[in-house]
Amino acid sequence: MNSSRLGDVRDNKKSMPVRILVVDDHPVVRHGIRTLLGRHADWEVVDEAEDGVEAVEKADRLRPDVVVLDLSMPRMNGLEACRLIRKNVPESEILIVTQHNSPQMMREAFKANAKGYVVKSDAGRDLVDAVDAVSQHKFFGHA
Amino acid sequence: MKLRILIADDHELVRRGLAALLLSHEGWEVCGDAKDGREAVDKARQLKPDVVILDVGMPNLNGLAATRQLMQHDPNVKVIVLTITDSDQVIREALDAGARGFVLKSDAARDLVTAVEAVQRNRMFFTPRVNDMVLAGFLDRRENGGTTESPKLPKLTPREREVIQLLAEGKSSKEVASLLNLSTKTAETHRSNIMRKLGIHSIRDLVVYAVKNDIIQVQVPSRTDPAQGPAA
Repeated sequence: MNSSRLGDVRDNKKSMPVRILVVDDHPVVRHGIRTLLGRHADWEVVDEAEDGVEAVEKADRLRPDVVVLDLSMPRMNGLEACRLIRKNVPESEILIVTQHNSPQMMREAFKANAKGYVVKSDAGRDLVDAVDAVSQHKFFGHA
Repeated sequence: MKLRILIADDHELVRRGLAALLLSHEGWEVCGDAKDGREAVDKARQLKPDVVILDVGMPNLNGLAATRQLMQHDPNVKVIVLTITDSDQVIREALDAGARGFVLKSDAARDLVTAVEAVQRNRMFFTPRVNDMVLAGFLDRRENGGTTESPKLPKLTPREREVIQLLAEGKSSKEVASLLNLSTKTAETHRSNIMRKLGIHSIRDLVVYAVKNDIIQVQVPSRTDPAQGPAA
């Protein structure tokens, strides 16, 4: 696997509260993401959404700092949701968390204005660092 | 005494999500987790859990083959199978293998705790959607005088099922031999026997067979999957 890290935040931890919206069509995966994010005392998961349409609506209403966004979802996929959220709520940064371990898909995500990209199988290692990075408007990418 | 549960899924996010769900229930503990069927079988031997929750689509040894091995080693262990598919064949194979519960992953947040409670009381549990299918299949058989048998697949031994999964995942005979502690020659013999029994002549056909029969699972892109085509 080619690996490229676009942002490294390990030495630059931020202590400001970060409000996060978690979007995935599988409730069990949302639980898993919440558990990983729960490691960070200053972060708050403000809500969850189960597809792109719900994500766009909740991002509009809640204006989270970070949206953790799956790509493959019913009704509206993550790339489309990413574009709309960035257009409607420019202050919300998008972290894509996906099963697609593909540099091409990562490029598509960045073209859609995502700030970070994490492959689900690496989430245990990368998710916290990635949220930390994108919450500070830094890029984070692994694929 | 706490109910001890072992979780096996190849995705850490799912393992963590399942653990969070189960730990919200008083009196249960997650005694271990595993990222494939082989590790699940090894850990179950060491940790002796009361309940094992197994994903079907795992690498190296899938959840159905792992269920067979677990039941062979300890017939009292209660296995709940988690799956993304509710195909008849997977349900049938899970039951044949000795699973006591069958939960669709998409329904796990709602049904998993109920499933564990059921098997804890020595009952079986099926996600409601699956329950309807099992009942429909049962009624079909009764209406047809019990003659509607499911299509018979060529009989593969448990070892051959392990070998076909590893070959379909792209491993060479040498790698199969190493993973299963066999000689390369024995692994090649298994490969020849599998191909002869299935009447197939190439690895490509073997992969097709493995996918069609849920021995390995591949992600089928949905209409809203951005990987399906140009960026949506």
